[in-house]
Amino acid sequence: MSIFRNRGKRPEMAISERELSQMTRDMDELHESTFPQVRKTLDDMAVNLGKMVRQPSSRRGFVLGAAGAVALGAAAACSSGQTGAAGSSSAAPTSGPAGGGELYTGDLKVVALAAALENLAVTAYDGALKKASAGQLGAVPPAVATFVQTAMKQHADHAQGWNAVLSKAGKPTIMDAPLTITQSQVDMLNAAKSVPDVAKLALSLENAAAQTYTFAAANVSDAGGIMTAATIQPVEAMHAAILNFVLGQYPAPDSFIGIDSAVKPDALMR
Amino acid sequence: MHKEIDERRFREFLEESDDLQSDAMRSARADLSDYVDAAREARVTAQRERSHLRPVAAAAGIAGAATLLSAGTAWAANDDVAALQTAAGLENLAVSTYQTALTLPFIGGSDANPVVKAFAMKTMGQHTEHGQAFNAAAQKLGGKPQTGPDPKYADVVKKAVPTIKGPADVVELAISLEDVAAQTYVKDVGLVSTPELRQLFASVAGVESQHKAILLAVQALLRGGAPELIALPPDLTKLPAAAGSVGFPDSFYPTAQAAPVEEGAVR
Repeated sequence: MSIFRNRGKRPEMAISERELSQMTRDMDELHESTFPQVRKTLDDMAVNLGKMVRQPSSRRGFVLGAAGAVALGAAAACSSGQTGAAGSSSAAPTSGPAGGGELYTGDLKVVALAAALENLAVTAYDGALKKASAGQLGAVPPAVATFVQTAMKQHADHAQGWNAVLSKAGKPTIMDAPLTITQSQVDMLNAAKSVPDVAKLALSLENAAAQTYTFAAANVSDAGGIMTAATIQPVEAMHAAILNFVLGQYPAPDSFIGIDSAVKPDALMR
Repeated sequence: MHKEIDERRFREFLEESDDLQSDAMRSARADLSDYVDAAREARVTAQRERSHLRPVAAAAGIAGAATLLSAGTAWAANDDVAALQTAAGLENLAVSTYQTALTLPFIGGSDANPVVKAFAMKTMGQHTEHGQAFNAAAQKLGGKPQTGPDPKYADVVKKAVPTIKGPADVVELAISLEDVAAQTYVKDVGLVSTPELRQLFASVAGVESQHKAILLAVQALLRGGAPELIALPPDLTKLPAAAGSVGFPDSFYPTAQAAPVEEGAVR
């Protein structure tokens, strides 16, 4: 796997499902070994944000809360007037005093947004599998089916992680996709009639997710939140690369992941 | 015949991608100015805070704490420059490695798979841009540019190059370099001192991970003796089922192999 370990020579041979499945299992084991570290980061984040929620008058809570409000206020300003996936043009403020009626504020709003976005991705992939099973997408190559199942599982992992933070911070978890972009994505899925149709929809979602986490890495104030966004962003970017490849497009078209298509906090309808 | 079609098609993709890339670069250069301005501002603010804190702290009898605080903020500013220099070193190494690989007949010569060759060329160009961005930021923050390769991994590459026998060896080497770069930048997102620098590191980490994803897929097909399936567009019907997931092994990108911030710092 790495040049920094023993580089064993391997004779050329015809590839088999068994071999590739073994490689996949090896990678799953690697993933399982990484997950506990992420869990700890998420736990720490939940503790920090939970303190903010429970002790809003403490100095630490005030400082962190203010930082989050500034960041998300900037996010609201940035997102107004944007189009596409980021095109929720709600003029509602994205954060503010709890008395404003918003359920999630500050960093927790970004956490809730992330959970909703991950749920949307899971829903899209699950819907694609159901359409494929019903024969509504034509012939689905096995590699595409595996991609959908694996990407869906990873998005479910991400959603689970973000929801754990919400739960530990004393906030309701997000089990659906309350986003301004959801209906248009569902409409696109319903209209999909082929594998490329679904791949284009998925690519749009993955690009939006990668850009959202790039945005989040810069705009959340909690250290755990920053690192969680940073560790998920490359995974969404990898999904996008493979989808570009599936669509016959150059897999890494940009030298820098932007934020123009990021889904901003004001897209969260809760 | 199949090869000619692939090559022509791929050239078209590269041209389209270059158009997109030009737009993205214009945006990236503008963003870079923002990153640098913000980091510079943070530095000035840190210095201003230090000069204000000293008398206040002394008056309050906590001079020791103020000293610790100012040492911490100065360290953070220096750390930003070191992280940028280390990143530039990793990019320089990636550029020189792809450059060397392209001199090999099975990567850049007549025996090369056209998709792999084009990928190596394009990826080398992207690493050049990353290196320029990191060095420009380091210089504008008062640091020196890192013009050499990362010292630790340069040695590893130097030892690996003579053992390369075929494209699979090159791909394996490239995967390792892309992975170290991505892990380093993910970790750096949590270490640098401004939101703008966090965004810069995150924006590059995602691209290195994309390189890794494609290389993992290519590696699986090469190892399986199915190089003809490395094509754009791919023949999806012939790809093994597991090829659909081999490119993205982790739900959360690891950081255990990240290079330390100081590894490529310019003294």
